[in-house]
Amino acid sequence: MRRQLRSRRAPASPYAYRYRLDDQDEVNQNYLADEEEEAEEEARVMVVPDLEEEEEEEEEEEEEEIEEEEKEEEKGQGQPAGNAWWQRWQIVSEYLWDPEKRMSLARTGLILVIYFFFYASLAAVITLCMYTLFLTISPYMPTFTERVKPPGVMIRPFAHSLNFNFNVSEPDTWQHYVISLNGFLQGYNDSLQEEMNVDCPPGQYFIQDGDEDEDKKACQFKRSFLKNCSGLEDPTFGYSTGQPCILLKMNRIVGFRPELGDPVKVSCKVQRGDENDIRSINYYPESASFDLRYYPYYGKLTHVNYTSPLVAMHFTDVVKNQAVPVQCQLKGKGIINDVINDRFVGRVIFTLNIET
Amino acid sequence: MGRWGTRGTVTPHEQNPSPRPRRESNTGKRRKTKRKKKKTDLEELKKEVVLEDHKLTLEELSAKYSVDLTMGLSPRRAQEILRQDGPNTLTPPPTTSKWFKFCKQLFSGFSILLWVGAILCFVAYGIQFHQKEEPTKDNLYLGIVLAAVVIITGCFSYYQEAKSSKIMESFRNMVPQQALVIRGGEKIQINVENVVVGDLVEVKGGDRIPADLRLISSQGCKVDNSSLTGESEPQTRSPEFTHENPLETHNICFFSTSCVEGTAQGIVIATGDSTVMGRIASLTSGLVVGKTPIAVEIEHFIHLITAVAIFFGVSFFGLSLILGYGWLESVIFLIGIIVANVPEGLLATVTVCLTLTAKRMAQKNCLVKNLEAVETLGSTSTICSDKTGTLTQNRMTVAHIWFDKTIYKADTSEEQTGDSSGMGKTFAKGSATWFILARIAGLCNRADFKAHQETLPIAKRATTGDASESALLKFIEQTYSSVKEMREKNPKVAEIPFNSTNKYQVIMVTGDHPITAKAIAKGVGIISEGNETAEDMAAQLQVPISQINTREAKACVVHGSDLKDMTAEQLDEILKNHTEIVFARTSPQQKLIIVEGCQRLGAIVAVTGDGVNDSPALKKADIGIAMGITGSDVSKQAANMILLDDNFASIVTGVEEGRLIFDNLKKSIAYTLTSNIPEITPFLLFIIANIPLPLGTITILCIDLGTDMVPAISLAYESAESDIMKRAPRNPRSDNLVNHRLIGMAYGQIGMIQALAGFFTYFVILAENGFKPSDLLGIRLNWEDRFFNDLEDSYGQQWTYEQRKVLEFTCHTAFFVSIVIAQWADLIICKTRHNSVFQQGMKNKILIFGIMEETFLAAFLSYTPGMDTALRMYPLKLSWWFCATPYSILIFVYDEIRKLIIRRHPGGWLERETYY
Repeated sequence: MRRQLRSRRAPASPYAYRYRLDDQDEVNQNYLADEEEEAEEEARVMVVPDLEEEEEEEEEEEEEEIEEEEKEEEKGQGQPAGNAWWQRWQIVSEYLWDPEKRMSLARTGLILVIYFFFYASLAAVITLCMYTLFLTISPYMPTFTERVKPPGVMIRPFAHSLNFNFNVSEPDTWQHYVISLNGFLQGYNDSLQEEMNVDCPPGQYFIQDGDEDEDKKACQFKRSFLKNCSGLEDPTFGYSTGQPCILLKMNRIVGFRPELGDPVKVSCKVQRGDENDIRSINYYPESASFDLRYYPYYGKLTHVNYTSPLVAMHFTDVVKNQAVPVQCQLKGKGIINDVINDRFVGRVIFTLNIET
Repeated sequence: MGRWGTRGTVTPHEQNPSPRPRRESNTGKRRKTKRKKKKTDLEELKKEVVLEDHKLTLEELSAKYSVDLTMGLSPRRAQEILRQDGPNTLTPPPTTSKWFKFCKQLFSGFSILLWVGAILCFVAYGIQFHQKEEPTKDNLYLGIVLAAVVIITGCFSYYQEAKSSKIMESFRNMVPQQALVIRGGEKIQINVENVVVGDLVEVKGGDRIPADLRLISSQGCKVDNSSLTGESEPQTRSPEFTHENPLETHNICFFSTSCVEGTAQGIVIATGDSTVMGRIASLTSGLVVGKTPIAVEIEHFIHLITAVAIFFGVSFFGLSLILGYGWLESVIFLIGIIVANVPEGLLATVTVCLTLTAKRMAQKNCLVKNLEAVETLGSTSTICSDKTGTLTQNRMTVAHIWFDKTIYKADTSEEQTGDSSGMGKTFAKGSATWFILARIAGLCNRADFKAHQETLPIAKRATTGDASESALLKFIEQTYSSVKEMREKNPKVAEIPFNSTNKYQVIMVTGDHPITAKAIAKGVGIISEGNETAEDMAAQLQVPISQINTREAKACVVHGSDLKDMTAEQLDEILKNHTEIVFARTSPQQKLIIVEGCQRLGAIVAVTGDGVNDSPALKKADIGIAMGITGSDVSKQAANMILLDDNFASIVTGVEEGRLIFDNLKKSIAYTLTSNIPEITPFLLFIIANIPLPLGTITILCIDLGTDMVPAISLAYESAESDIMKRAPRNPRSDNLVNHRLIGMAYGQIGMIQALAGFFTYFVILAENGFKPSDLLGIRLNWEDRFFNDLEDSYGQQWTYEQRKVLEFTCHTAFFVSIVIAQWADLIICKTRHNSVFQQGMKNKILIFGIMEETFLAAFLSYTPGMDTALRMYPLKLSWWFCATPYSILIFVYDEIRKLIIRRHPGGWLERETYY
């Protein structure tokens, strides 16, 4: 009973109890009960007597502290009991900073130091792991490519929407498409392509054997290949006449090769509704395909100037003043264009709503 | 026993101290004032019974109740009174409606937080639904899942509670009863509930008394008042007034006590709730019971976790708004943080752990009615009992011997023969240490064999002295040599008494006479030898009691009639200053006062009892323990635990199981909380570093409600690390279930390593697929853009939204698997808090099953076809399973070293900071 009474008094700081528990008979008895512990403790006393003395001193100090705290607490109990919040605040503040002993803060500081070292070693561990990770990963070729296959499809102009709504007579409604296309095609300028890239033979892979880390050459894809959709003759890409050009490109995948002799083709049609809503589409290059010479792709590091091949769709006769859903699909071996969950794998769907 | 619990019409019952013969019919008016009076009524009920009817002569009695003492009441008059007073039943305690209980389960603890999460999900879905043409249904599903989790957990805990209370309902409905009354001169058998005040009742041997009776005639009538007073000796009943105290006088029979033999006739002076028994019942049912210690602990823990969750949630909600995220996104982050912070499955785990212990205890004949009471016994610091003899008479035997740094096993079987041939082989008898040990055990021992038992095997011989010393005596006699000879050679010079302080205090509360009580108390060791009461000291010193400083006497015997006049302060004084206390001749009300006194002093009180008279104390106690065979229905109903075989030794089992489950719950919670950090950190990094989300809410739920459940539960099967019975009872104010050391370990240390394991796997998968860590920083905005279908990775490859989402979900799956793998190590280190796993061993088969189960579940979730659409979990490459193993090993090694240091430096700094 006496034991309970002693501990009945609320502690002045959360640590006070621990001292009491840890340093006084209660916990010690736990260990004394465990004979093995006792033996170990004795062994320790013999080996490092100095340490033990120090600890005892500490314990004495701590006990004094407890007594003081208890006295304080007794004084405090005289106060009206409604001040629970104030008491709580006192507990918290004494936990942070015990003005008499400066113990709490010292201890907190020690914990922080220990945690600092703990986290520092964890940081070292993760660094080591990441380092080994980089040792196992090739900078030229991703370890796995199956998640990025089959290739996805994207169109330009791209304005965070796949609805092309514009009014032919109001340039403001289509001007941003033109700017976007122009910007996109800067990299395809004939002069630039001729300067940077090589003209490689069509109809066959452009395979560059040799060391992985060798820089690879890239095949030219000139803006002029896109003819009416190149923006060279018609700087508005047909938007001013209600015959918009839309560029289609296939996502780059390192090492991807279309079937030999069977280049990937693009074909567009009305996705839902009347098929005659689109009466004619012109494709540039006229083959409507991605030539084999643009494959394989060797990756960003070595294949620096690689230029993605494009197919331009020129919607020359589309029903006006009505939304026309268009689906453009890739066709060819190794191409999948009917994944239900992913509407950008092997196909792209957009709507044209051209107002006059 | 009356028709306790019969669901008749409930009438407002009078709680006046003195039952009145007539009642006014304005019951409605009284009903209004009743509620206000409730509290004062309860105080009133705690006072002693005041009854005057036993002092009346028969004529006065006849006049008072206007009844003819031979003819009885007229049937018409009886009907009238019945209409006025209501049936003669005990009013069932007000039960809270099932729906209310269910709703309480639904809106308590983490449920509120999860409801908030679910509502936020629906709000987010609503906003998305209005903003976009094609909203993702993720939030809708998540909201539904969260709501389902809350409802299922609620149902689960409700079912647990409802199931245990149903057992009691069946008990309640057990005793139907008839009464023989004389009305209008005719003997008629009626249902006991139709008995009214003034009825002339006839009882014979074997009957139960149908109401409080004032006897008018008797032929050799004896009654058993044990349910009321605790005294089982049948008492004579006759019409004579013999004692001032209504409980002691011969001419009153009490409702629900039984007539053992003879016959008697008496006038009903009180029915239903106004009977002495009814008052006890009202007192019992009216008592407000405090929360169980484990409920307090769980609440404390829930507050802690909720505080952490709210802190993280609010600060990161604010942060994300500051960082420029939209309201909707911030709300979705908030949902994620809430889901990650709340250990959804933990409360169910705790319930299952407690249920398992309850079942284990039920096998040992301890039926636990209220699950939370499972642990209470473990925390118990004071036991109030009047049957302590059996409690301390549990036999002990030597099972293991430890010397020369080796533990030897002793033969504990009863059948061993008298000679020591079977024993000697098991341990090194030649050792010098053994010689010393045996001498100490034999000589420093006060136990001795009783005379004339030489023919019996040693193990079966009766001994004098305490159980542990007797065990040592028998052991030495069996294995070493005759203790008698040894003692003859080494005569006793002096004696230093051994006193084990780490015991719970046992207070004896009995209805017996003080002298009997004291004798028993000394006999069973409640008053230990050498300790004297103030009276003893006075007698010894031949001085009056007033000259003795009562504080010097450790033992104390208090008479019930003294207790009646004591103030609360005086009682506190007694409880504080005496370690060995006996209360004698106590009434039910006084027992209650004693329990309240102990609780005021901060003790966790267990009360054992079987009679109706114990029920208020049983109900008020932190854990009331009733007897399954001899116990009355009322006591069983008031108690939290029932000893099915009435064996008090089961209480010790209960204490052990209670302490064990408390330790194991700590482990279980430490295990479960650890995975919170790898669940929260992905969201934090997602918000701060703008990387693709490493772990989604669905996978978090898979961990919390799937893989973590069985392993956490398996820790409930863990055996104790050391002798938990040698510990002092837990101090409920400082030994918390979840303290900041546990949180520090789980969140600050192991959790962090686990988070690293997860993140490493995440980075491996992304890097191997093309996204190197350096390119991931800040990629989030493009990554989450549905229309950005040619996002470039570190190799220049272009990814559609869906492709990279598949990759992201693969990462979620891998992160999840990594947590599972890191949790293997965590489970193994959580097995022990102090010992090494190598000391503890891997004997817990359920735990091994748990590890297998979580692994198979993880593999199942990852590889089952269709999981990609159902839970968005994707198959992993085999190598990705191994990314987390170094961290798993790190966790194991780290914690083994930590525990090694703790063992080497008991009470040292590390222990103070990390021993939870």
